[in-house]
Amino acid sequence: MDPSTALQYVAFAILLGGIYGLVALGLTMIFGVMDVINFAHGALMVVGMYIVWWGTNELGLSLFLTIPIAVIALFVLGVGIHLSTIAPIIDSSQENQLIVTFGVLLIIVSAIEIVFSADPQRLEFGLGSVQFAGVYLPLGQLYALIIAVLAVIIAWAFLQYTQLGRAIRGTADNRDAAQYVGINVPRIDYLTFGFGAALAGLAGAVIPLFQSIDPHLGDAYLINAFVIVVLGGLGSFPGALIGGMIIGFVHVFGQVFLPGSGYQIAIFLIFILVLLLKPSGLLGGDVHE
Amino acid sequence: MSMSESTAQTQPSRIDRARLRYRTFRRQWYSTAVLLAGVFGILLVLPLTLNLYAFGLSLGTWVSVHMLILTLVWATTGQAWNMMSGYTGQFSFGHAAFFGLGAYGTIILLNTAGLNPWLGMLVGATIASLYGLLIGVLCFRYDLRGHYFALATLAFAELLRHTFNTVSQLGGASGFFRPLPQEYADGFGLIAFQFENALPYYYVILAFLIVVSAISLVIKQSRLGLYLFAIRENENAASAVGIPTYRYKLVGITVSAFFTAWAGAFWAMYFNTIRPETVYDILVNVEVLLPAIVGGIGTVLGPIVGAFLVIPLAEIARQSVDIAGFDHVIYGVLLIVIVLYSPKGVVSWPARLFELLEDRGLYESTIDDENMDNDE
Repeated sequence: MDPSTALQYVAFAILLGGIYGLVALGLTMIFGVMDVINFAHGALMVVGMYIVWWGTNELGLSLFLTIPIAVIALFVLGVGIHLSTIAPIIDSSQENQLIVTFGVLLIIVSAIEIVFSADPQRLEFGLGSVQFAGVYLPLGQLYALIIAVLAVIIAWAFLQYTQLGRAIRGTADNRDAAQYVGINVPRIDYLTFGFGAALAGLAGAVIPLFQSIDPHLGDAYLINAFVIVVLGGLGSFPGALIGGMIIGFVHVFGQVFLPGSGYQIAIFLIFILVLLLKPSGLLGGDVHE
Repeated sequence: MSMSESTAQTQPSRIDRARLRYRTFRRQWYSTAVLLAGVFGILLVLPLTLNLYAFGLSLGTWVSVHMLILTLVWATTGQAWNMMSGYTGQFSFGHAAFFGLGAYGTIILLNTAGLNPWLGMLVGATIASLYGLLIGVLCFRYDLRGHYFALATLAFAELLRHTFNTVSQLGGASGFFRPLPQEYADGFGLIAFQFENALPYYYVILAFLIVVSAISLVIKQSRLGLYLFAIRENENAASAVGIPTYRYKLVGITVSAFFTAWAGAFWAMYFNTIRPETVYDILVNVEVLLPAIVGGIGTVLGPIVGAFLVIPLAEIARQSVDIAGFDHVIYGVLLIVIVLYSPKGVVSWPARLFELLEDRGLYESTIDDENMDNDE
């Protein structure tokens, strides 16, 4: 492999890692705060993809408009999903929450399939490409990369330095104690679900920039996001971002060096090993309560 | 109002006498077996009634034998899933692994070694059991519970999907065609596990369901069943009183995997082809457990009742609306509605109906409601 191709793969791995990181960050926020595994997360990504594709292609809007619209719409959708399906059973068993979010996944994906058909769609215009230090980079990928990296930094700063971010981290750390020190936990819950959905939406929104989309594209991202979340430590925010990068690299270089969907097998083997040997993940705390 | 109240207090009404009789009946050890026998009696003649007309209507307008077969396939898997996840509370989200191993085991042995599909089914089911045992040994040894166990089982199922998708010796993405019966037997018939029309398939899968239900019932009413339910209710307490929980959880997953594979083998012999995207699909994990969730987790009648609510509803909806994916919307709505409003499932509805009527003041019960919550 010559250096420029290798650099190209590295760039793509960072891009994919950033997207994985965003999806996993939303997933791990929801898990950390509410102890809910959100199966609908991949479906929320797909909604983001279709908002950008439809708004840009069919309505002729600028990407500068459609991507923020996707993020805001997903925040609202996330809050709605949380209040209607998760909040009533927040104290129920983990299995019940898992089943309900899977129900939401089925409804969203099927609705998109019914409205837009299962055919793959892509943005009609090409974004061109740039030549950079001997590396040929499609502009769509470059923009997606910049947005993903920026979003990761902003999300991290938000959680680290704002009052609300601290409240979210506090609730994730200890739900009961958060309640005692005066944090409105139900409010943190729906905001967290909204932010998680918005992150999924943003991750989905940049995907049409560099690949074609279909209603089931979210499934693959969802499953790998689970792997990342467990790898980084369920509920760990930095863990989600680091895990995202690791899986991004395994994905891209596995695709190059392994036959078929061998990269996916490698990802699952990593997952199973982590679950068995260190279920608390790379940066997670103690699993057993 | 006062009249009815006073008479009600002195003498149970006709409805209440019936409810009391039913309650007494349900406390007998044989009652579930009797109800099951009744259900299976109906299922034995059900396909024969499809073409009967009453009041100018016929069941066959909406329901086909094919639909009934699908219903029984998922009832069988629901029953098998229930034996592990319903009884022990170890929530598996990866039963597609066992379903697929049963299907692939049967077809691969038939294609490569010419092994009779019935034997192939047993080999496939044994492989599925061993895979279940492997999952169990790894997960339970490291004490994975709740979310972690559900995700781990999903990972083991997805691992198989991608493996079968990648390895060409295992069929690759295009999977396998079912061979013609003449190639390995004397044409269609029971020995070949292939039939010219749908009706014999219906009776084969009904037989599977009867076997699995009977074993499920025997386990539930045995000492083993008590141990499994003790693990579900409080694993630490069960362990503390000396129940070897690790071993019994392994028994649960092994038995469950074995019978889930039967349904997979049936699937392989009923349809023309199997592919990773049909038998290992992420949705199969849901279809396996949906009947048990909807019908009532941990009950023997639940998976059957649940399957007969879910599958025909989804199939009829798909046929009448003629929109691909509409059946998945029905699945999704059912999952949410059942978990939010009726987590005990459909089998709890008769008791809940009386409660509801009483709350509305439409009906006065004369019997105390204690112990009324029969779990099925």
